[in-house]
Formats: sequence, structure tokens, C-alpha cells
Amino acid sequence: MTILLLTIVLALAAASLTIKRSVPAMVSFALMMFLLGIFYMTLDAKVLGLFQIFVYTGGIIVLMLFGVTIIGVAFPQAKSRPWSAVAAVLVFVALVALFVRGADKLQLTAGQATEDVHLFAAQFSDFVILFALIGSSLLYGTVKMAGLLKARKKSTAKGERDV
Amino acid sequence: MFNIEMFFAFGLFSLGLYGVSSGRDFLRIFFSLEMLLNAVIMMLAITAHHLGMTQNIVLAYLVIVLATLEAAAGLLIFAAANKVSGVIIPDELNGEVEK
Repeated sequence: MTILLLTIVLALAAASLTIKRSVPAMVSFALMMFLLGIFYMTLDAKVLGLFQIFVYTGGIIVLMLFGVTIIGVAFPQAKSRPWSAVAAVLVFVALVALFVRGADKLQLTAGQATEDVHLFAAQFSDFVILFALIGSSLLYGTVKMAGLLKARKKSTAKGERDV
Repeated sequence: MFNIEMFFAFGLFSLGLYGVSSGRDFLRIFFSLEMLLNAVIMMLAITAHHLGMTQNIVLAYLVIVLATLEAAAGLLIFAAANKVSGVIIPDELNGEVEK
């Protein structure tokens, strides 16, 4: 049952990337996230599953609907990069190899870790550094993008004035 | 079962990576980014269930919040870029800025 559910999840994920029309792609993406929520419930993480369905899926789909209003009903044609499929396959193989190599060790050490670590007590500083790095890079990207767009807007306005 | 579920999570991660690196329009890049983060949440939930690492559920909530914030920030940038230069493919935006 779980394998069937996860196969459908992967099929819907692939469909959302390959369908050429934006609304069906978004519907398959929403279904994928909904089924993931169901999967979390089967893993005894019921609150996480409900959170995934109601908060995450709901919020993201509203945001994506906003994107659909800009893009239109059909996705535009873009240049394809053949190496990206090869890169994705290579990453999959690397992840599987790494996992198979360390799976036994992970299962052995997992129990010890939960006994010693009380949530973030022992590794709190590591998580703070990680989230600070992510937050600062997001902020940097947003500010940089805003600067670029502002410069572009100014040059466009200047060009219109000259004309 | 633990191994099989993890392989599916790796598959979802690879699909997301393919979507991000194939350089299509903004919306499909957002889909792919969400897939990447969903794969991470999936791995956290699987390890929490099978290995008893219950602290991973808390991390999963943090990743969900981060993913939602990232989507909101990304869509704002997309809307601004579209308003200024009218492009919906990131590669074209890069060309516009270089000009």
C-alpha cells in the first residue's frame, strides 16, 4: 500500500514537471503534496500530515495560483538542458550508494542519539548557525535582486524619456 | 520497508533537482524547489518513524516553514521581475540584466 502511494507520488511529481499546461501541472503538484500528507499519517506523524495538507499545501497552492495568473494557461517554451537529467540520475545513484553504505551504521547509532539529545539542547548552536546562514543568503538574494530590478527599471525609464 | 521508502525520497529529490537545473520557467522551478524540500521532509519523517529519531519531526516543521517563506519570497521576486522586464524564464532575465 505504501509503495503504491509513493509510486503515485513520484508519478504526480514527474507529471507536474512534464505537463505543458500550467493548471493541470499545478493540480498534479497539489495532489502530490496531499498524498505526501497521507503518507506522513501512515508513518504515525498525524499532526505533521495534517499540517502538510492544510497549511503547506494550501499556502503553496494559493501562491502558485498567483504565479499562474502571471504565466497564463500554457507554459512558455524554454531551452532544454540535456545535462540536467544526467546530473539528476547521478545524484540519485550517489544518494542511494551513500545510503546503502551507511544504512546499518545509521540504524545502530539512531537509538543512542535520541537518548542523549533532548531536541536541540546539545546541538542548538549548530542549528542557529545553519538557519542564520540560510536566512542571510535569502536576504542577500532578495536585496541583490531588488537592486538589479531597480537598475533595470531606471534604465528602461531613461530609454523611454530619450525616445 | 525503511530502505524502500528512503529510495522513493531520493527519487523525489532527484526529480526536484532535474526540475531546478533544467532551467525552465519560474513556476516549474518553484514546483521543483518544493519537491526538493518535500523530499527532505519525507526523509525526516521516515527516519523519525523507523529509527525513533523523534526530534526530526520538529525539524520537519521548520523545513515546512522555511519552504513556505522561500516560495513567498521567490514569487515576489518573480512578480517584480515580470513587471519590470516581462520575462517568465530566468535565463531570459539574466540576458536582460546583462544588456
